[in-house]
Amino acid sequence: MARLALVLGTLAAILYPIPLQIQGTTYYQTVGFLVLITAMLGVGWNVIGGWAGQFDFGPQVFFGVGAYTAALLYVKLGVEAWLGLLAGVAAAAVICAVLTYPLTRLRGHYFAISTVAIWMIAQPIGATWEYIGAAQGLFIPMKAHAGIVGSAVALQFSGPTKALGYYYSALVLFALTVALMAWVERSKLGFYFRAIRDDQEAAESIGIDSRLYKVLARSITAGVFAAGGVLYAFWALSVFPEQVLELNWSTLPIMATVVGGIGRLWGPLLGAVILIPISQIMSTTLGTGPLAGRGIDLIVYGLIIVVIAAFRPTGLLSLPWARWFGRRRPAAA
Amino acid sequence: MAPLLQVESSTKRFGGLLANREVSLAIEAGEIVGLIGPNGAGKTTLFNCITGYMHPDEGRIVFDGADVTRTRPERICRLGVARTWQVVRAFGRMTALENVVCGALQRTNRIAEARARAGALLEFTELRGRGDMPAATLTLADKKRLEIARALATRPKLLLLDEAMSGLTPIETAAAVKLVRRIHEELQVTICVVEHVMEVVMPLSHRVIVLDYGVKIADGAPQAVVRDSQVIRAYLGDRRAAR
Repeated sequence: MARLALVLGTLAAILYPIPLQIQGTTYYQTVGFLVLITAMLGVGWNVIGGWAGQFDFGPQVFFGVGAYTAALLYVKLGVEAWLGLLAGVAAAAVICAVLTYPLTRLRGHYFAISTVAIWMIAQPIGATWEYIGAAQGLFIPMKAHAGIVGSAVALQFSGPTKALGYYYSALVLFALTVALMAWVERSKLGFYFRAIRDDQEAAESIGIDSRLYKVLARSITAGVFAAGGVLYAFWALSVFPEQVLELNWSTLPIMATVVGGIGRLWGPLLGAVILIPISQIMSTTLGTGPLAGRGIDLIVYGLIIVVIAAFRPTGLLSLPWARWFGRRRPAAA
Repeated sequence: MAPLLQVESSTKRFGGLLANREVSLAIEAGEIVGLIGPNGAGKTTLFNCITGYMHPDEGRIVFDGADVTRTRPERICRLGVARTWQVVRAFGRMTALENVVCGALQRTNRIAEARARAGALLEFTELRGRGDMPAATLTLADKKRLEIARALATRPKLLLLDEAMSGLTPIETAAAVKLVRRIHEELQVTICVVEHVMEVVMPLSHRVIVLDYGVKIADGAPQAVVRDSQVIRAYLGDRRAAR
């Protein structure tokens, strides 16, 4: 059943934009892009928040680190986007490790607050550091590219295929992230992260260096956020501090993860598929009316979170789907 | 030959309270040592100092030739000390098998190998059939066995059991005593047990160490220790000791 869902889901994700594109609509491709980028960040956040059990509310810092690293390399040295992406991921992982190691002395709420504090420190740095453009940010100039391949290599799409190109780029990055995190989950790292979440002292008593593995978990999360940041920067063709260090880059993926199922590999995708279209529907249907742009979508998000927290705190994926729809015995989660 | 574990006049204070005062003891490879004493005597504090969760204010702890006085718990585990907890600390949201896999991963990076070893240890601790159950759903007796299996998975030379039998029914206690003997005989692990139940410690231990108010008051064969006037006073009061 799970395999069938995976195959059908993959086919749907690949094929659904095609009739729309032929018809001349690009709106739903952009929605799909936002769903995938949110889901991808959620899958990354699951590592520190879901498996290692450490509430990190500051991963958007590394979204920014990724965006800035790739944009700077592109603007100042002409480094191509995908290489910049690798550099951004590496920079975020290293900076995260250095910043997080001292924080791992803190636990529970104190750790969570410290991650927010680092984000608050990052904001004025982004807004005032001249080298990275300060408050004016960085602009990523478009280059002329030869065909689809050229655009894909440069991660720069324009015109009527812009939305489609970024949608498929996001799909590739999302698939890579899920594949990597599936491997992490089954590896020694996955076992050690969950051991620390369930009982840190007991984990230490069987030889797990809790501080080291918390740093590793958060650096993996940071790497995924950095990749998302690079993708976003090339989509927006710019990097502004208030844009890439925006709180929503952590709250939306975290909400998606909680709604879908915290600690479950596919939870963030389910959550993002539910949450992101809601905000898009709200902003289009409410249009220019009196409620437009007043954050009605956030009220709906809040209600969804309340309902999930009250009735199914382990998320929608933890519902007994296999028993409802599967013929075979449900596999252990 | 140097003892496996050597504690040299270890002192641990909590504010004005002396939890351990100049406690010295040695555990030889191959022994089963019982560590007993009334509530608050400092047994768990001593365990915490040996396993690196606390560090003594004064004194020295040497394990297998290495000074571990200020060493962190995970390093001490790597050197070959494993422990269980007075209040069970299973990884509740993981399955029983996964709990033991986490221990086995201390000595291998290969998941398949760790799983095989974990399965064998569940068998050894008579938890066969519980492997796929979330640890939180196990009974207390099974959780205590699971902790032992998880500790054994790290291939310890010395196993410290902190009240492995407290809260168990007499039948479960008998089974636990049998398990401790099997660990000692079949896996050749040196064992130190903290226990309240005298009927358990006395027949099980080769040697018994008694703590009272943070001070070691007796150390010797079980038969000798039960006749020691200081021990009787600690457990039963002055009136009995005078007789």
